[in-house]
Amino acid sequence: MALLTKAETPPPPPRRRRLVYRLRVLRHDPTAALGLILVALLAYLVVAPLVAVVSDAFRLQYGDQVHAGQQPGEWTGYYLWRVFRSQISGLLFWEPLLNTLVVAVGTVVFAVVVGGGMAWLVTRTNVPGRKWLAGALVVPYMLPSWTFSLAWLSLFKNERAGGQVGFLQAMGIRTPDSLAYGAVPIIITLGLHYYPFVLLLVGNALRRIDAQLEDSARILGAPQRTVIRRIVAPLMLPALSSAVLLVIGRVLGTFGTPYVLGLPADFRVLSTGLYQSIRDRSTGVASVLATVIVIIGILIVFTDSRLMREHRRFVTVGGKGAMDRLGDLRRWRWPAFALGLLVFVLSVLVPVLTLLLSTVTRTPLDLSTFTLDFWLAERLPGAVGFPHGVFRGSELWTAAWNSLRIVGLASLICALCGLLIGYVVVRGSAPRIAGFLRQVSFLPYLIPGIAFAAASLSLFAVARGPVPALYGTTFLLILVMAVTHLPYSSRSGIAAMMQLGREPEEAAQIAGASWWQRMRRIIFPIQKGALVTGIVLPFISGLKELSIVIMLTTTGTELLTTLSIGLVDYGYTQLANAVVLVIALVSFTMTYLTQRLTKSSLASGLGG
Amino acid sequence: MPNITLSGVAKSYGGGDYAVKNLDLTVPDGAFMCLLGPSGCGKTTTLRMIAGLEQPSAGTIAVGDRILDSVERGLYVPPEKRDMGLVFQNYALWPHLSVRENVEFGLRMRKVPAPERRARAAAALKMVHVDAAMERYPSQLSGGQQQRVALARMLAINPTVLLLDEPLSNLDARLRLEMRAELKRIHDESGATIVFVTHDQLEALTMATDIAVMNEGELQQLAAPMELYARPANRFVAEFVGSPPMAIVDVGAAPTGLAGSLLRFVESRAAGCAPAGIGIRPEALRLDPPPDAAWSEEALVEAVLPAGSSWTVRLRILDAELYALSYTPVEAEPGDTLTCWTDQMHLFGEGGDRISSWDRTKVGA
Ligand SMILES: Nc1ncnc2c1ncn2[C@@H]1O[C@H](COP(=O)(O)OP(=O)(O)OP(=O)(O)O)[C@@H](O)[C@H]1O
Ligand SMILES: [Mg+2]
Repeated sequence: MALLTKAETPPPPPRRRRLVYRLRVLRHDPTAALGLILVALLAYLVVAPLVAVVSDAFRLQYGDQVHAGQQPGEWTGYYLWRVFRSQISGLLFWEPLLNTLVVAVGTVVFAVVVGGGMAWLVTRTNVPGRKWLAGALVVPYMLPSWTFSLAWLSLFKNERAGGQVGFLQAMGIRTPDSLAYGAVPIIITLGLHYYPFVLLLVGNALRRIDAQLEDSARILGAPQRTVIRRIVAPLMLPALSSAVLLVIGRVLGTFGTPYVLGLPADFRVLSTGLYQSIRDRSTGVASVLATVIVIIGILIVFTDSRLMREHRRFVTVGGKGAMDRLGDLRRWRWPAFALGLLVFVLSVLVPVLTLLLSTVTRTPLDLSTFTLDFWLAERLPGAVGFPHGVFRGSELWTAAWNSLRIVGLASLICALCGLLIGYVVVRGSAPRIAGFLRQVSFLPYLIPGIAFAAASLSLFAVARGPVPALYGTTFLLILVMAVTHLPYSSRSGIAAMMQLGREPEEAAQIAGASWWQRMRRIIFPIQKGALVTGIVLPFISGLKELSIVIMLTTTGTELLTTLSIGLVDYGYTQLANAVVLVIALVSFTMTYLTQRLTKSSLASGLGG
Repeated sequence: MPNITLSGVAKSYGGGDYAVKNLDLTVPDGAFMCLLGPSGCGKTTTLRMIAGLEQPSAGTIAVGDRILDSVERGLYVPPEKRDMGLVFQNYALWPHLSVRENVEFGLRMRKVPAPERRARAAAALKMVHVDAAMERYPSQLSGGQQQRVALARMLAINPTVLLLDEPLSNLDARLRLEMRAELKRIHDESGATIVFVTHDQLEALTMATDIAVMNEGELQQLAAPMELYARPANRFVAEFVGSPPMAIVDVGAAPTGLAGSLLRFVESRAAGCAPAGIGIRPEALRLDPPPDAAWSEEALVEAVLPAGSSWTVRLRILDAELYALSYTPVEAEPGDTLTCWTDQMHLFGEGGDRISSWDRTKVGA
């Protein structure tokens, strides 16, 4: 028996034979077909819009022939010139860019100082009410981001923008423009919204640091200050840089706050500039701006992952739950608690109460003028576009129903896609398809929401081939909303399927179950929990979403968020505030319930 | 029930490497065949190909006349139509179904009416002694019980072929012994053809009717257990099967020391025989007074390692170190000199294949 020499690998069968065999196998295994469908879907919904918006930036649009001296559809550098080099490029681009930078840096500093400090307080010290603070300080993140800006207006608004003035002005204290509008209030309100983000990321990292690392340094004779500088700080760097970059990315794509607080004072940032270009129908300029935002967004995330990779060697092993020894604040305990409480009061109670009071008083916050008219009145004298309390008439209910319907469907689609992507990736019969799905489903994460909405408009606003123009349809809203939340659901879908592995399904296959039976009786029932979280998290963040939908909604498809911004446009402050309160209440309640029911932490839903 | 035949089966997971290379294997009807080999040699891959969960890159897999896979002829039967049972190494029970529902699943898929389904599930569970835990969920069972449920789940559909991938590796020693006996019993009672993957040679030797030894994706030898032990096809099998393993002394061009001593003995028996390696199993290396027709040599005792019922002795014989396994007490101390002898040798040729075995007690092979 010359076995050792015999077993050369045989020559593979001819290519055509193998192909016939493969096709036969594929006919029995819908995973590959499913993978291809998902690939096509993602290519169309994620990649194509980006290609469309970039190409729109370089093609002459209708209406610009005279200025550019070219025919529509021709390749052109006209928009680049207009945005970057022309006389109005300062107004169009450079000034908004500078403002964006100012706001981003300011917000980051604010969020890091407050969030980092609070993180240290709730993870590393014996501050009284530590647990409660840890939970309460995350609440601002559950409110729509521009809640704070509306509250700000209710307090500081002056007569510049017309409509109801703010509390201080009504008291006879003049609020200067720089306090009422522009960079300062934007930074403060965005900072109040984003500091929980830093708190969560940095807090998690602090919690993971192994106390033994510090102990060993102390034993080796390092004083407390050195320990912090040489041990704790370097270990915190990855989480901190991650938080910083992600906050910058968010600020870049955020629309509501700079719109509410910036525009009245002509303080433009890139996102509001993009919005205005689209409203002005200067598609070419809008495309250039969107492309710039996309590029900055991608750069940020790449920097982040590069930094993370460099920092990976810092990852501490097995430091789980080792943080049981807390720094003793001694006589600073109560002052520290007061500080935490102050942050909570300023970031949650003050904004929410301000909004609430503003909706129940005729003169801002003057309780002697108490009224429920803004909520309930049949007729509101003086208001033209919305002449009744928010609960009257059909507007709020229609918008709420739209929100529920559109966001709900989008979340459902999103969660299903996420799970199916996970399924295809884990089945892994085609590594290249799996790789594509993994990466492309994550792509929207790199792209600030408003830029992605602009990109989708580029592709879907006009009829292309067999696809009719989708602008203004519910369908488009659902699609875009589902796609932008796909990174979270696909990541959780992949994680859930990875954890399950392929064996439970294979066991069913061996037992004789067809593909459909396996999906229906094994995969979906087992993944029920993952599916529910996959629906609820995008749903909560979708309810608060403004940046993405603001450009896509029309009168027929008003959502709660756009309704509220519309009321701001009219100058009906109290009504706008009332609507935001409704959104905040719904989103807060749902987040709270979800955390209670699924024990999932908000950190995993940081997508909001 | 017909044989399972694999002919020319190869499997590559992409890239140039083959997990299984040109495998020809026939599992006789009603056999209890073990696939034995070191980790990563392609056992699981082979099993999964038989089950249809993995597709070969070349070759044909058939049960009797029914071709399940043939790359050359473009034929394929999906796993759900193969009517085989497969027990996974980690059980893969469905966590959302109770034990009973787990076991009934396959019957449900076969549209067996409810009363019969219940009866058959109960019978299968009874066979593996977990019928008391019928309404529990997998997470409420011990590892051993889960493993039995996984087995019952496959037994319930009365498969003609039962594939088992290291099903006993997660059990403790006592339960493993128990389950070995139980598997044997199930094999006898059901009459199914069983293919059993393991890297535990003791498991293979005690349970199998046939053993297929694999290494690096290649079949090394297919034989009955004792045949495999007595006449290993090549150096790999010789060294892999048996514990402590067979010592193989390399014979160079001008052998000296132990190799020279052994070669002189071999040549005196069979002139012109030129082995490249000479193997001696530890239990064949004896320490009692030598008979006439045996090879013998002085040995220095280096260590004595008692293990209850047996004694392992490390010996230095000329220039080499060998182990002897004795089932009678060894009185020697380290530093003593003994005469050791053997009358069983395995001779291996240049390529590593066995040329012959010499055994004084049996007539040569
Ligand atoms: N899905 C896969 N993709 C790529 N390579 C694989 C895959 N599955 C197995 N292999 C490779 O094929 C070879 C054989 O693997 P296989 O799982 O059959 O080994 P095994 O004999 O079952 O080993 P063990 O005893 O450790 O279970 C290994 O080198 C392994 O790395
Ligand atoms: Mg294996």
